[in-house]
Amino acid sequence: MKPAPSTIAEAKNARRPARGFWSDTWRRFATKKLSLLALVFVGLMGCIALASPFIVGVKPVVCKYKGRIYFPCLSYFHERLENPIFVKELRKKYSVNLRKKDPDSWAIWPLVRQDPFNRVKEDEWEDQPGNPTGSDGKPSRYNIMGTNQAGVDVFAQLVHGTKIALLVGFVSTGISAAIGMTLGALAGYLGGWVDMFVSRMIEVMMCIPTLVLILALIAVVDKATIWHTMVVIGVTSWTGIARLTRAEFLKLRNLEYVIAARALGAGRLRVMFRHVLPNALAPVLVPISFGIASAILVENALSFLGFGSPPPNASWGTLLNAGQRSPDMWWLIFFPGIAIFLTVMAYNLIGEGLQEATDPRLREGAK
Amino acid sequence: MVNYLIRRLILGALTLVLVTFIVFALIRNMPGTPLTLNMGESDPSKKISKEHMEILNRAYGLDKPWPIAYFHWLGNLARLDLGDSFREGKPVIGVIGERVGPTLLLSTASIFLAYLLAIPLGLYATSRSGRIDERSTSVFLYALYSLPSYVAAMQLLYVFYYLLRATAWQLKPGMVSDNYPTMSFPEKVTDIGWHLLLPLICFTYANLAYDSRFIKANMEEAIRQDYIRTARAKGAGRIRVLVLHAFRNTLIPFVTLLGLQLPGLLGGAIILEQIFSWPGMGRLFFDSITYRDYPVIMGLTLMLSILTLAGQLLADFLYAIVDPRITYS
Repeated sequence: MKPAPSTIAEAKNARRPARGFWSDTWRRFATKKLSLLALVFVGLMGCIALASPFIVGVKPVVCKYKGRIYFPCLSYFHERLENPIFVKELRKKYSVNLRKKDPDSWAIWPLVRQDPFNRVKEDEWEDQPGNPTGSDGKPSRYNIMGTNQAGVDVFAQLVHGTKIALLVGFVSTGISAAIGMTLGALAGYLGGWVDMFVSRMIEVMMCIPTLVLILALIAVVDKATIWHTMVVIGVTSWTGIARLTRAEFLKLRNLEYVIAARALGAGRLRVMFRHVLPNALAPVLVPISFGIASAILVENALSFLGFGSPPPNASWGTLLNAGQRSPDMWWLIFFPGIAIFLTVMAYNLIGEGLQEATDPRLREGAK
Repeated sequence: MVNYLIRRLILGALTLVLVTFIVFALIRNMPGTPLTLNMGESDPSKKISKEHMEILNRAYGLDKPWPIAYFHWLGNLARLDLGDSFREGKPVIGVIGERVGPTLLLSTASIFLAYLLAIPLGLYATSRSGRIDERSTSVFLYALYSLPSYVAAMQLLYVFYYLLRATAWQLKPGMVSDNYPTMSFPEKVTDIGWHLLLPLICFTYANLAYDSRFIKANMEEAIRQDYIRTARAKGAGRIRVLVLHAFRNTLIPFVTLLGLQLPGLLGGAIILEQIFSWPGMGRLFFDSITYRDYPVIMGLTLMLSILTLAGQLLADFLYAIVDPRITYS
């Protein structure tokens, strides 16, 4: 029983030009304040990841040295971006050495002068003491989130770890989405023995305990880096996306427009990826969003268990691992814990918002 | 129905062979064998000589290439022999059997507790849908759902093991205290209860958040149905409508959840058990991977795969039982 106002609304809608599916979805998504907030949060994380060398680091953002301008902080993105002159002449202790080797030099420093990889030593800065080590590293004026056992600043590690958290989420889920969507599309559209084969593969993957698979794959790779971890998480978590894509393709492959495309002589691949896939994309977005959350969880769990990648690509989970060793250093667990929690929640909320925005059943209910 | 069952069983057996084959290949290709890993840990004076190593390799069946070793394993499995654990020297069945108790205690208690709390919560959320108190509970539960259990576990650990260490509230890791064997029966029960508390909370809260959201989502769909309007129109009370008319009709999706939870009953949780030093299945799994204890890894993989497949089969059968519209013929 539809009440009268909705027919009036429908009549008004009829006069307006039809809205596209994606703009409609966005409109619905934007009404969910929490999901929108989560999207802003992820954007903010992106900004922090990009600006991490400006926020916290021991290398000058900009400096003038022997008559030339340099941007040493960029080496936090990649080692090779640092001018060899700094590696040779100013190694560590930038502040002191800059002044000693070139009295006319000047530098603009990051907001917080702490390093994510090394302990700040006593003589490194003229106006800043060295970092405490062991359980003395409580949060203080110079180390706002404390330091770990070796005296490395936690805040610096958190800020620089943001990049890893974002990368892990997007790369792993990108891989699993690519595998899952391709296999699901093939199985759902072609059917027959292809479907049989892919379905069996999905079942086998679901039976193998995920952590065993991941640990074994990481062990097989000698000296696993963060990229190996991302690939391993990606190739082990595509089953959900594949199942959903398959179901969507099964539903869509017999619709009139698909038959029409086929009748016009479009090839199989063209029909699958140009005609069917865009229409199957919306429901698949939801598990992708949840997948990002779970990839971040899994990566941090691995680091926590001691299978993480070493610096410069250490993730938040590495801090948790350090925290487990010293039960009295609560700040090693608390701050990274909050960071992981907020990130996972943000992706979950985005997934939830997408689900409500694209699910036609809930759309009816929302009126 | 029988045909369907036979087909499913054959496919299941095929899947099991594939799963065990893949896992066997993976673990045999991990660098290091149980023998070399043991050597690294002990002091150099205990280093095994080359000849001795070969004898040991032969004794453990490590001298054969892995595909042949796999068929040996499969052959032994046909005789219901899973082999002996490299690390403990005992039959794998016994090693796994020791862990069944602690794992089941934790998993059944947490699943039971989660449902006990989730059903009233879900019904409450449905009946007050959209009000401020319901929104705040839902947001809170959602936050709980997103809170990684290992993070929560470590925070709790800090509070109860460290901050409260000199008080009566201090809880200790592990499943029993050191003086457990000398305790009387009621003392033993309370001792396990105290040790169970923190792992149980960590296991339960995520389940609770998931279950209550699951119930709420199903209820939201159910209360929009015509039969609910009919029930209201004939004058049934609010609670009666909610419980007897709506909730009973949401039980079908529950069946899937039940099937999904079956492997979880015995699977344990690798990270949580690690944190709380709980002697369960998850820790056994983790330890046997780090020690390259191949027979135990294979035994656990086999058990979990069977449970996963059985869970799916069980869910499909229960569907046919609870929903007369579904038949398999």
